[in-house]
Amino acid sequence: MSDEFIKGLATLCGGLFGWMVFSGWYTTEGFESTQLIAEVPTDPAIYGNIALTLREALFWFAIFGAITFWVLIPAGRQARAALRDRRSSN
Amino acid sequence: MTDTTNTEDTTDATEEVAADGAGIVAPDDETPTWRERKERRQGLSRLTYEYFERSRREDQDLRTESSYVERDVLAFPTWPHEMIRNLSLTSFFVGLILFLAAALPPHLGAPADPSTTPAIILPDWYLYWSFGLLKLGPLNPDLAILGGQKLMKDATYGVLANLVVVGFIALVPFLNKGSARRPVEQPFWSAVGVFGVVFAVMISGLSIKNLWPAWVNVHLLFDMTFLLPFVAGFITYAILKAMREGYMFELNRRYYRLRPPR
Repeated sequence: MSDEFIKGLATLCGGLFGWMVFSGWYTTEGFESTQLIAEVPTDPAIYGNIALTLREALFWFAIFGAITFWVLIPAGRQARAALRDRRSSN
Repeated sequence: MTDTTNTEDTTDATEEVAADGAGIVAPDDETPTWRERKERRQGLSRLTYEYFERSRREDQDLRTESSYVERDVLAFPTWPHEMIRNLSLTSFFVGLILFLAAALPPHLGAPADPSTTPAIILPDWYLYWSFGLLKLGPLNPDLAILGGQKLMKDATYGVLANLVVVGFIALVPFLNKGSARRPVEQPFWSAVGVFGVVFAVMISGLSIKNLWPAWVNVHLLFDMTFLLPFVAGFITYAILKAMREGYMFELNRRYYRLRPPR
């Protein structure tokens, strides 16, 4: 159980960390204006496109990774255990 | 091997000192079973397991070699155990700093202009609580005997409030020496701590009351600054008081007692 917790936490922190770095490059207007969540540039070059794609991917990786390890996998285990109990009791 | 620190035993020559450490080896139920060894087969769990198993083994060997009778100090050796752990943690955070310094674009602002005063003047965020105490003007009473005048200026009142808070913090170590290992052991002082933390956060929020967005009701914020700490303190006290029933005071005391060798 604690294994799943630290995996989820590592996914969340690692993903958001990468997201923060890409956001610092591409979606930050300035130090004293909007940081990290400013407008996405309209016509990025090829590297900008790759970076923005990675930014989105890392964000959803963090969210879905945490949900997977903290909710889905434990729920699946509980469901399987409940199913096994029901089968053995019948 | 003679135990020179123990005068009672050296004078009594007939009674042999148990210097082989036979009585202080970890009892058998602390040794992992073969099933437990097999279950941790791979990857990080295997590594962690081997690390702790080796530590346990070395601790057991040290206890076996020890001339202390009933040594009750539970600890790992500094080298390698503590140092390996500390070095890995240190490397991780140094790596994080290096990565951030290399990967995040640096901000080089305009040079400071000493000839103009900025519109917003604030202390650093960790001094907001003190800054907030300077804004307690509404609490400075208008005295009837002075004809509705105030005894001192609001600024003086705020500075005195700082003295009260700092004085209380300085007083706490004399009231409670902090021998509790867990909040449940002293619910009242834990509640006092939570009171202080919530009050610090709220008074910090109050100190920047002119910067909050419009939906924040500043008068409500002012009231909450003095109400919420009491609420949080009472809730903490109630919860910890309720937790005392299941808390194993004896077990905790046994783990943290460092008894010198007899």
